Amino acid sequence: MASERKAKLEAAITEAIDNPKQRNALYYCMKRGRDKRTERLDTMPTGAAFRPEVKAIKEKCIANQDALLAQFTANAEARGTKVFIARDGADAIRHTLAIAEEHGYKTVSKSKSLTTEEIEINYDMTDAGLQVVETDLGELIIQLVDEKPYHLVFPSVHKMRDDVAEIFSKATGKEVPPDIDEIMRVVRSYLRPIFLNTDIGMTGANVGIAETGTIVIETNEGNARLVSSIGKCHICIVGMEKIVETVDEALMMVLAHPVSAVGQMPTTYVTWMSGRSPLGEGGENRASHIIVLDNGRTRMREDPLMKEALHCIRCGACMNICPTYGVVGGHTFGHIYPGPIGIPWTAEVHGLETAGDFAELCISCGLCKEICPAQIDMPTMISEVKRRDAVKHPPDFTTRLLMAAEPMAKLGCAGAPLSNWSLRNPAFRWLMEKATGIDRRRELPPFARKTLVKRFNARTPKKTTDTPKRRVAFFYDLYANYNAPELGLKAIEALEAQGCEVVLPPQRACGYPYIGYGALDKAQDVAIENVQHLAPYVAEGYDIVATEPTAAYCLKVSYPKILPRNPRAKQVAGRSFELFEYLMEIADDAPKPQDLAGRRFGFHCSCHQRPLGFGDGAMDWLRRRGAQVEFIESGTCCGMAGTFGLKHGPLGYDLANAVGEPLFDAFKKSGVDTIVTESSVCSIHLKEGTGLEVVHPLGLL
Amino acid sequence: MNTTTPETAIDDFARNLKAVSGHPHLVADHVAAAEAICRIIADAAPRCVAVAQIPAAILARVEAHCAEHQIEFLKEPYPAGDLPGLIDRAEIGITGAAFAIAETGTLAEVCTNDAVRIVSGLPRTHIGIVDGNQMLLQLLDAAPRIREAIQEHPKGVTLSFISGPSRTGDIEMVLTLGVHGPETMHAVVIGGGHGE
Repeated sequence: MASERKAKLEAAITEAIDNPKQRNALYYCMKRGRDKRTERLDTMPTGAAFRPEVKAIKEKCIANQDALLAQFTANAEARGTKVFIARDGADAIRHTLAIAEEHGYKTVSKSKSLTTEEIEINYDMTDAGLQVVETDLGELIIQLVDEKPYHLVFPSVHKMRDDVAEIFSKATGKEVPPDIDEIMRVVRSYLRPIFLNTDIGMTGANVGIAETGTIVIETNEGNARLVSSIGKCHICIVGMEKIVETVDEALMMVLAHPVSAVGQMPTTYVTWMSGRSPLGEGGENRASHIIVLDNGRTRMREDPLMKEALHCIRCGACMNICPTYGVVGGHTFGHIYPGPIGIPWTAEVHGLETAGDFAELCISCGLCKEICPAQIDMPTMISEVKRRDAVKHPPDFTTRLLMAAEPMAKLGCAGAPLSNWSLRNPAFRWLMEKATGIDRRRELPPFARKTLVKRFNARTPKKTTDTPKRRVAFFYDLYANYNAPELGLKAIEALEAQGCEVVLPPQRACGYPYIGYGALDKAQDVAIENVQHLAPYVAEGYDIVATEPTAAYCLKVSYPKILPRNPRAKQVAGRSFELFEYLMEIADDAPKPQDLAGRRFGFHCSCHQRPLGFGDGAMDWLRRRGAQVEFIESGTCCGMAGTFGLKHGPLGYDLANAVGEPLFDAFKKSGVDTIVTESSVCSIHLKEGTGLEVVHPLGLL
Repeated sequence: MNTTTPETAIDDFARNLKAVSGHPHLVADHVAAAEAICRIIADAAPRCVAVAQIPAAILARVEAHCAEHQIEFLKEPYPAGDLPGLIDRAEIGITGAAFAIAETGTLAEVCTNDAVRIVSGLPRTHIGIVDGNQMLLQLLDAAPRIREAIQEHPKGVTLSFISGPSRTGDIEMVLTLGVHGPETMHAVVIGGGHGE
């Protein structure tokens, strides 16, 4: 029986899936953010080269945070600003209320600040009798209906013009028509007296600069300029991690932030406040306060698996690409911090229990890491959050079963053909769904009576020359060994045809499900074992080649990350390749038989293949044989996410299909006759979702 | 891919400002700048115009234009007791910028009095004026100018990068201008080999 927590999450997922209007709005918002980002990167002379620079700056500044905070404080105070270091939210709130009480302030105008959302200061200020108004339009909309942000950058993206008109009709007491221009006029006149009569102008800051004591505030609406210039008192609440050392570093953040969020450069208004200026001539000195919030950040810095979360610059790019966030939105996929980065941040500042409520929504596709301007490895952090949460909330039976896929596959092979008959039998599948939670509608790949290893060992040994072109240790993973040994053999033959000597080293399946489902310790065990098996081959000059994209991703990306102190993991990663990337690298330039001429394929790149070269190797290989190949994508995951889409229910099959819809539509509209993908699991999902034939490129040999 | 060079900087600025819904005016000198501003004022037909830290030669001409057309004209010094309400009366705010950035169509306003910020931040229309010789090529080139401005004003200074009018996409991602501040933003670039 599902836990109460899971039941609540599943109900929220179902509600989101059943609300196409909201889903479409969110999908459009995310797609627009991604597309604009790509367009902008194409126009920038250095493209996405800022990403490693942002990462390096954040790494350096977090490592030197104590010194930078001291320098920032000294420089800001030298300009008359009072700096207060708040150890937690309560501390920051107490300090703010004390300022308000001391001067008799009554009104607070705020510009958008997630840091103030983090500590939920509005409730306390309101309880203390202050009139608090959010002046960013999106924040104002959700404040008026007492909701949390739905998206980091677009907090009210789930509210359509009708909803917003109704909200302002209630707020103003006058009928507001559902017309965006008219709503804007109402908002402008509603907020203008609030701006003009502000006692406290409260802002966050996107960056703090240690060398000058400056805070940098970015807004498109210009509201932060007004609240910080008009308010009798300015209070800036800034997360400790936002402090960088130099102006140059701050500029890099000012560039990276809006480019990553919506492809804008820079945000319309970027305010660099170094101390506070008077307003007009002859007035009194106006108060300026900066509250630097710790609230767990110092502890995060000491946590090797979580400290990378401090590199977040709050651009929201990770939620623009997150497949499941794109269906359920930030109220389900988030607490206050939504989306992928919201999982580690929630765990650290709002508690593991709260993060665990929605952490399962991460399907570990890894796309967030690929788009993050600071290259934050969110999937590994989220895996660790799941692992910590599992101490109190162990994974359910289905998840445990899917993590143990290898022993199950061994059983399936041993029991073939009976096991295959069972998998095709509706009654058995119904029972299996009830017993294991594997959705009966999924067409599972049959098990091979003879595994790849057996067939390889039984075949006539290939004659090799004394000097093969390359020596390859083939990493077959689960699918090629237990389900599709003929595919594995084709891969081996393709390598041999290029003059490679191929061996099958001892190995275990790559173990990515352990990472995805949060058993990071078990993933480490598998990684250690595989590295132990493969490293001697690498030492002897072998290259490791894998057919399954996720397996290649594990070898190249995941293992060195989860085994940071194992130098052999890095050595193995350095010599590991995805099959077609490798074949194209070693292929000669001789013309190939045009046996695929006239065929038109749509290529699907699995998420884990993206950092390995976006499937260029396979597409080039097909094109060189006369095929027309189109790269077709929705910009995010297909939804299958390994074995996630095999699970019965909202947190599995239903969500996987909702995520996949735009991609299915894209394939169906493309007019291609066949889909080509190298991923065994995406293949199942695409076939069922599109009704089209789906093949592995090796199947076209 | 766009690469700004010193030769193309001002044209690039104009193109990039247009891309963010701003209106560039490339003029040869202060006289032409004042004329361009007076044309904008004539088109908008405001009742009140406010200015802050703009070149004296431009100020005199714009003030004369406003006087001629019975337009209330607000200029520094602004008494603290009258702010921010006084400037809220203005429909057009005109400010001087210290430098600009071609790559992004950005004006950089440097001020030691927040009256300047509300002149550019409250009215429906903002006109920024910048010397074309103070055009930086890229956003990342701005660090020395920012640092210099901060160091020159040890008591307090605020820089505002302004790239177009106030914008929001908070309702259905529809780009809407002027939700709080300027709905229209003009940048008058003086010199640098250009004239309208």
